[in-house]
Amino acid sequence: MRDKSESIGHSRRDVLRIAAASAVGLALPGGLSAASTAPAPHGTAFGPLRSAGVLTFGPNNVLFVGDIIGAKIHALALREADLTPQAGIELGNFHNFEGGDLVRGLDQKLAALFGTTVDKIVINDMAVHQPTQQIFFSVERGHGPDAIPALVKVNHGQLEVLELNNIPHSQVSIPNEPAAKDMLEFDPQQMYAITDVKYYREEIFVTGITNQRFASTLHRIPYPFNSNAATCTVEIWHPVHGEFETRAPIIRQVIRELNGEPYLFAVYGCTPLVRFKLSELKDGAHVHGDLIGELGYGANPLDMLTFTSPADSKDYLLVTIDTRSASQIAVSDLASAPAQPTGGGIDFGPGGLGRTQRAIPIKAEHIAILNSKWAVLIWRHPRTTYRLDVSTLALPYFFDRKDGMSEMNWPNGPDPFHYREHRNEIDTVGRMLPV
Amino acid sequence: MSFQPKLVFDSDPGDPRFGCIRVRHLPPDLVSFLQGKFHSLLQSILRVKVTEPVGAGVDELPDVSGNYQVLERALRFTPYFPFESGIRYRASFDLRPLGRNALTDILTLEFSFPSRVSTMATHVVQVFPSDDLLPENLLRFYIRFSNSMQRGRAEQEISLLGPGGRPAPDVLYRPPVELWDRSMRHLTILLDPGRLKRGVGPNRELGPPLKTGLDYTLVVGSGMRDVSGRSLSKRFYKTFCVAEPVREPIEVNQWVVVAPGGDTRHPLVLVFPRPLDWALLLHTITVASEGGRTIPGRIAIDQCEKRWSFTPSSPWVAGLYKMQVESTLEDVCGNTVAGPFDRPLSQSTHPAEALVGSDGSSPIFQFGITVERKRLEFEPKSLASTNSSPASTAGLTVG
Repeated sequence: MRDKSESIGHSRRDVLRIAAASAVGLALPGGLSAASTAPAPHGTAFGPLRSAGVLTFGPNNVLFVGDIIGAKIHALALREADLTPQAGIELGNFHNFEGGDLVRGLDQKLAALFGTTVDKIVINDMAVHQPTQQIFFSVERGHGPDAIPALVKVNHGQLEVLELNNIPHSQVSIPNEPAAKDMLEFDPQQMYAITDVKYYREEIFVTGITNQRFASTLHRIPYPFNSNAATCTVEIWHPVHGEFETRAPIIRQVIRELNGEPYLFAVYGCTPLVRFKLSELKDGAHVHGDLIGELGYGANPLDMLTFTSPADSKDYLLVTIDTRSASQIAVSDLASAPAQPTGGGIDFGPGGLGRTQRAIPIKAEHIAILNSKWAVLIWRHPRTTYRLDVSTLALPYFFDRKDGMSEMNWPNGPDPFHYREHRNEIDTVGRMLPV
Repeated sequence: MSFQPKLVFDSDPGDPRFGCIRVRHLPPDLVSFLQGKFHSLLQSILRVKVTEPVGAGVDELPDVSGNYQVLERALRFTPYFPFESGIRYRASFDLRPLGRNALTDILTLEFSFPSRVSTMATHVVQVFPSDDLLPENLLRFYIRFSNSMQRGRAEQEISLLGPGGRPAPDVLYRPPVELWDRSMRHLTILLDPGRLKRGVGPNRELGPPLKTGLDYTLVVGSGMRDVSGRSLSKRFYKTFCVAEPVREPIEVNQWVVVAPGGDTRHPLVLVFPRPLDWALLLHTITVASEGGRTIPGRIAIDQCEKRWSFTPSSPWVAGLYKMQVESTLEDVCGNTVAGPFDRPLSQSTHPAEALVGSDGSSPIFQFGITVERKRLEFEPKSLASTNSSPASTAGLTVG
């Protein structure tokens, strides 16, 4: 279809144009004379972003942002002033599996912050800056072609817009993005142009689709950015569909070193878990991933991460899924799991590591690891479904005792886990070094 | 004479929403005090809030975010995001957080912006296919709106009524994500493919979604919301009668090609024996010079999607042109040049399927068009190949 977004009111481009002419803000001396009564230009918040998608932190406080509309990955080198250590924040009662709410009514508060109504708020991703334990969101105001992107952080329970214009910035273009008009059966292809970004040893790994014949693509880009990006196309055997697939993209990725060898683990829609050797991801290569687990049909992965269990000190992979419980798999199994056979018929699974996956009761729209004891998630609280909250969940079981009815909640009920002995223990973010 | 401080809204002449809030006539000693102060201090005295009720269990909502400037006699707040139409804002200036008693009055200002396009209510412009006689195996509708729309209401607002105005259940496919184009002005509504494909479960249980000879009405409810959050001006109805199904591939060689004259900007016209898919017609047929350069121009589709016209941006120059038709072109039932949308499994492969390239790439049908000054004649030529894909070429000489 040919209609262009330019025709609709104030487009994102208009706003950016105005933003580019501004950047004065508080930097101006107070006794300013000329132009002192002219309205200041708007839009100093979103700097180079045209959209705000996946987020990931690299070292030295660099925040990477996937920007599908701009077909770029941005690297924002956050300054000391952009980050606030969150020492003293109450996280919950760790012993008793009682999480806490860090922000109640996230969507309503974002709407107020952006001067709009809650139906205009889209939250695309969440990332935690580990050294300060500060939480960042990528958000857009509006659903239409004139949606405005922003990055928002939580500072001691309050939401703050991250002003981007003065933050040191570099960017890299993602080549061969699908054209705006190209459709999948149900969505525009561009929606999947950048599905995930991860940093590993002076490189970022960007997954998504391109307009090429083998659409599923992995870009391997040095950071700091230079012109040496490598792009390979990706093929997997998808047991639930009984076919080799080259178009559906990796949805989430995790990079881990196991037995001295770095691997990229990828999860796809409907829900293969696939292993790639990083050494095989070379420019121009068409790489075949080893299917090591089929986690179950009809599911969309939401987030994938690893954490160390405070219970047994072992590392686990966690994949949250929209339609059912999250999957937990021991990281030690990831390297040793045999590649599943290819070429058979349709097999609805689960298979491989999917057969031994542990179901974890997480119902989160986004989840991230906050520290060694807590995860943070965005979810609709089971008793307040109209409200989107940012809350904590204790590792490694990811369940919140407050939300369930059980025998132990009765006065004088049984107390096999000694909850009553620990009733008043509230865990807080500890002291931390300056950024 | 000294003026009292006053809270005002400074409007941007181009668009009132791009305005800012200013406290003017501030005493010089206060201005000196505010200079160089932190954002958080300025934010504590000049605040702008959305006047929305707070949801249960949510503590106080934050202020609208923006930046602050201390000016010669004033303090100015500019929001990061332009103010929105239809939302009420409340600005307040209150020096109590500073512990200063010089100015005890709290100033407030409530403001809002009327909808920018209130004179032009959003409506359904057209539904494709445009014909009111549609085949039983119709695959999809496109609904074209006069403005960009919001997601989320298609399932409840768009329905199909059967004979007698009774709702026809399980006829429209309800995808998990509404199928909007990027401009958010065009919505694709599919009829249930499971009921269209003969022999699969839903088709065996429920039969085809539409029945030949009966009348139906597609209804677009006024509860659809445009990008500004407004409902449609009125409900939209498209009533149509159902004809026999069409299960034939598109036969390119049955198209009538009406050639333009040289040195004119007359359109190059294709006339089809039956309606083709409106959206695909817009981008699957292209005209190129003999050297392969795409000719810019404007496409028009009319006569119930049975006529495609291409008007070049510059006049035709005598010479050979190529017209390419991508094999992804479909008619209103999803039949393509390669074959019908569905057919019994036992039926042998349609010859046109041989056109699919061995590497899975789409074949391209290609016409040669010669534009000359004097003569006008139509002369089909033999099949020829382009690139690695088999293709069909017809020749056309134009005068």
